[in-house]
Amino acid sequence: MTNSGSSKSSIVNFSINHPWTIVVAVLVLTLGLGLQIPNIQIDTDPENMLSEQEFVRVFHNQVKKEFVLYDMIVLGVVNEEHAEGVFNPDTLEKVFHLTRYIETLEGVIEFDLLAPSKVDDIQQAGLGSVRFEWLMPSPPKNRQEALRIRDRARENPMLYGTLLSEDGKALCLYIPIRSKTLSYRIASQIQDNLSDLEGPERYYITGLPVAEDTFGIEMFRQMAISAPLAGLIIFILMWVFFRSFLLVVSAMVVAGVTVICTMGLLISMGYTVHIMSSMIPIFLMPIAVVDSIHILSEFFDRYQVYKNRRETIVHVMRELFRPMLYTSLTSAAGFASLALTPNPPVKVFGAFVTVGILFAWLLTILFIPAFIMLLKESSLKSFGLNPASSNKPSILERLLKPMAGWTYKRYRGIAGWSVLALVISAIGISLIVINDNPVKWFEKKHPIRIADKVLNAHFGGTYMAYLVLEEVRDAKGFLQSVNAIQKELALRIDDLQEDIPQLLNIKSEALKQVRVFADQHKSSENFSVVDLLQALENRATQQTQTAGTDAEAWDEVSLFFNEQKVNYQPFKNPETLQTLEHLEEALMSSGAVGKVNSVVDVIKKVHYELMEGNREYNIIPKTSAAVAQTLLSYQNSHDPDDLWHLVTPDYQKANLWIQLKSGDNKDMEPVLNTVTEFFKNNNDGRPLLAQWAGLTYLNVVWQDKMVHGMLKSLLGSFVMVFLMAALLFRSPLWGILCMVPLTVTITLIYGLIGFIGKDYDMPVAVLSAMTLGLSVDFAIHFLQRSRSVYPRAGCNWLKTSETMYGEPARAISRNILVIAVGFTPLLISPLVPYQTVGFLLASIMVVSGIATLLILPALIRMTEPWLFKKTE
Amino acid sequence: MRKLFLILGWMTLGWIGGQAAESPAGEQSLSVQEIVDRSNLAAYYEGKDGRSHVNMTITDSQGRTRERRFIILRRDDKDGGEQKFYVNFSRPSDVRNTVFMVWKHIGKNDDRWLYLPALDLVKRIAASDKRTSFVGSHFFYEDVSGRNPADDTHELTETTAQYYVLKNTPKNPDEVEFAYYMLWIDKTHFLPIKAEYYDNNKNKYRMVEALEVKTIQGHPTVTQARVTDLKSGGHTVSVFSKIQYDLEIPESIFTERYLRRAPRRWLK
Repeated sequence: MTNSGSSKSSIVNFSINHPWTIVVAVLVLTLGLGLQIPNIQIDTDPENMLSEQEFVRVFHNQVKKEFVLYDMIVLGVVNEEHAEGVFNPDTLEKVFHLTRYIETLEGVIEFDLLAPSKVDDIQQAGLGSVRFEWLMPSPPKNRQEALRIRDRARENPMLYGTLLSEDGKALCLYIPIRSKTLSYRIASQIQDNLSDLEGPERYYITGLPVAEDTFGIEMFRQMAISAPLAGLIIFILMWVFFRSFLLVVSAMVVAGVTVICTMGLLISMGYTVHIMSSMIPIFLMPIAVVDSIHILSEFFDRYQVYKNRRETIVHVMRELFRPMLYTSLTSAAGFASLALTPNPPVKVFGAFVTVGILFAWLLTILFIPAFIMLLKESSLKSFGLNPASSNKPSILERLLKPMAGWTYKRYRGIAGWSVLALVISAIGISLIVINDNPVKWFEKKHPIRIADKVLNAHFGGTYMAYLVLEEVRDAKGFLQSVNAIQKELALRIDDLQEDIPQLLNIKSEALKQVRVFADQHKSSENFSVVDLLQALENRATQQTQTAGTDAEAWDEVSLFFNEQKVNYQPFKNPETLQTLEHLEEALMSSGAVGKVNSVVDVIKKVHYELMEGNREYNIIPKTSAAVAQTLLSYQNSHDPDDLWHLVTPDYQKANLWIQLKSGDNKDMEPVLNTVTEFFKNNNDGRPLLAQWAGLTYLNVVWQDKMVHGMLKSLLGSFVMVFLMAALLFRSPLWGILCMVPLTVTITLIYGLIGFIGKDYDMPVAVLSAMTLGLSVDFAIHFLQRSRSVYPRAGCNWLKTSETMYGEPARAISRNILVIAVGFTPLLISPLVPYQTVGFLLASIMVVSGIATLLILPALIRMTEPWLFKKTE
Repeated sequence: MRKLFLILGWMTLGWIGGQAAESPAGEQSLSVQEIVDRSNLAAYYEGKDGRSHVNMTITDSQGRTRERRFIILRRDDKDGGEQKFYVNFSRPSDVRNTVFMVWKHIGKNDDRWLYLPALDLVKRIAASDKRTSFVGSHFFYEDVSGRNPADDTHELTETTAQYYVLKNTPKNPDEVEFAYYMLWIDKTHFLPIKAEYYDNNKNKYRMVEALEVKTIQGHPTVTQARVTDLKSGGHTVSVFSKIQYDLEIPESIFTERYLRRAPRRWLK
């Protein structure tokens, strides 16, 4: 105790005695770290909420590569005025030229662009003929041609619901882009072109990549507006309270320097500024200001008593040093626990807010006293609460003063109402829906939200997910297949040896090769029989070049391997394809899914067209050779490679391209469950492994991880803060008391979220850490100062509380007002998370302030004998 | 400024080319039309008929490969005139005996047939557009059967020591995906050695190259060819082997009757 007392006074004395040293040091530090800020590396990709090594991300990227999939911008064209919707020559001509323009944009994957002029149509062309042609090679010249395009597209299950809407009122272009981070730029370029177009058509741009990229960009724009605006409002409010420009400036300097140094440090350490870390200034500013307000508030109320800045500041620091240290440590602990969450940006956020809080504390106790010492005594002449003029108390005073007696008298009522509020809130919490969707980060009237609504009403869906299927492979099955292949090969050679006697020369070598290759594949854990057979076929083909007279024999062996391969390619196998077909049906009935495209749809469509457009043939052909030949026919089109988005060229993996009408996690989750259920009930036949990819799925994963990580971190920091409080007060009872306001606040706030039906999303999750940090702050100030006032007030709680409802309560109330009002600019932001943060911050401040000022005195009144038993 | 220079450069070259083509002096100086005609004959009409085994390897941008093996039979009505092609697939084995047959016409659409044995189905393919993929490869049908020289206007842009370089512009730009293509024709045997296709923005997006030329039965013949798709990054290599000319393949082979019943004797 004496130790900390002496170190405390030596720190404060140093700053009082060497004010210039402190000011210069702060200036140098701020400049040094501030100059790092221009090196900022912005990262607006929510995907980075997952570590790059995270399995789902690695898998997602592998799927994108394997199936040549790109992130897509969705551009919808709607014509509600024309009787035939968009299928009139005028609109289609616009679409045609728009497509031409989009093709030329840097970053657009032109050959995979999905647009009427870029897709093929397979159709009947008279008896026994099929035709492959562009759906819209040139703009239609008349009504008939336009309607023909509509009818052809309707006939094509791959296009219907994807390219054109059911009612023909709308068309959708899917614009693949090289990288998600280009989507804002490309979308803006398209937007520029659209604004030149006249006519009844409406254009809509959406898709997760655009939403995510646009959000990131608008977020940084908001940072540049909101954070300074919040700073300005905080400044004005503080000026209203303290009426001293210079002193208020000192508090703003603390906040500003804290933000600059923390961000400078983050950037200089090579971290990118992610959506999460861009929120650091918004979080640090109130926390940094809180301690300064405590000092200024106390200084304001005391100055006219001492009329000497040195004596006043020494008194203030003696009074506040400990609570400020405690609150900073507990708030820091609250945020430090975020470093334990599984999302890298949240970790960085938690770590640097922690650093910022501790830095703000150091800055407050060093800089504010130094700054005050540098002021001329005369400039403070009229500063502060003049006890002489106390016959004219401020509104705050008049409001707070009677509460001492009131809380003393009504303590039972307060406790009763609090318990009731907790119970009701618990019901609210049980109603909380954990859900998020980056598109909903924009407010309802934002063009992206409108586009999202309009296009998902017309089409299969603008949210993409991919379900990749492959056969389950293991060593056992592999060895069984290898044995079977060897046996077959021996039989084949025996069968053919009369025609090709050279086969006998190579028989043992060929059989040996199967074993050797199989061993190699096995030891490298590649249990794919197709890969093995491909390797064997390649080897045998090579041998035909060098084998001289045995060439024909090796050719026969190579053919054998080629034939065998077909048996092991699941997605040429009609049975496996049927499973896929059933899975598709299950998916379609699972709610959010609006459309599924798979290799099955291609096979059925081509088969049907080959069979003269007879509906009976809209099925998967009976044999794998028929499947292969159907697909070979399909590949005679303009875009044969389209097939490889749906199946790998070795037919070992298939990809279901799933379009969802909603990107909400709560809508995606039932879809995931449908697939799990499906495979539980359909496990006869060859076992298939189903794995998800796609941005919609990725969002589910990272949000899930974050929400649960935050919950864990909240519980962790709750325990941590309690332990610290108990330790700092050296009493578990005081520790428990300390936790009461924040428990009430968190319960009430989340109860409220449950009742108003606000989704528990990213900002809500992050704010739990904030709630903890700020609520505990007030409680510690209140309790610590109660403890130090108690003996002076004759060890009487009523007397103590009268003092407490003086300056300490005013400091807390000023804090509440400054921060709650200071963040109202966030409410006018077009980004929903900002509105949420603004609204919740205000609520948190008000609730935790009330909880501190009402419940704590009531509880102290109830537990007074135990609380102050040991002290004095 | 640089652009202006380029345009001037093109014009000068074109003019010199025009001069050379029109000048009757010197045995090297042929008219553009003569170059085009001789090249067309060298590339597609050697011998009366012919047969080749073809091994096609399709490689995508990720380096994954697929194979197509087939035997191609060809029979000419007369040089530079109508032709018939019969293509019989042997691999992948699940498309074995799939047949693709073309009657190439001059001045009207070709007739094309596809026979799919597993569906026991003969299909005519309405051939309004020849610039679709040949069985999923980077070759187009037109690369296999030959583009009618009359469909383009030709301009000799350069004559190097080894090549005539022609710029070919489609007469009907709506029917094709290219704006023009450049053709390098070997001066000695008139085989086209390289073709480069350009889109409307003058970007080169596709290349066809002869990788190997051998003389077979006195006919200079391309024995390896490659098509590269510069947009997607994939390419297809065709290796021709067991090439034979003047086999006296009967015309009856090239009829619907032989789609279902592969003419074994000619498919060796």
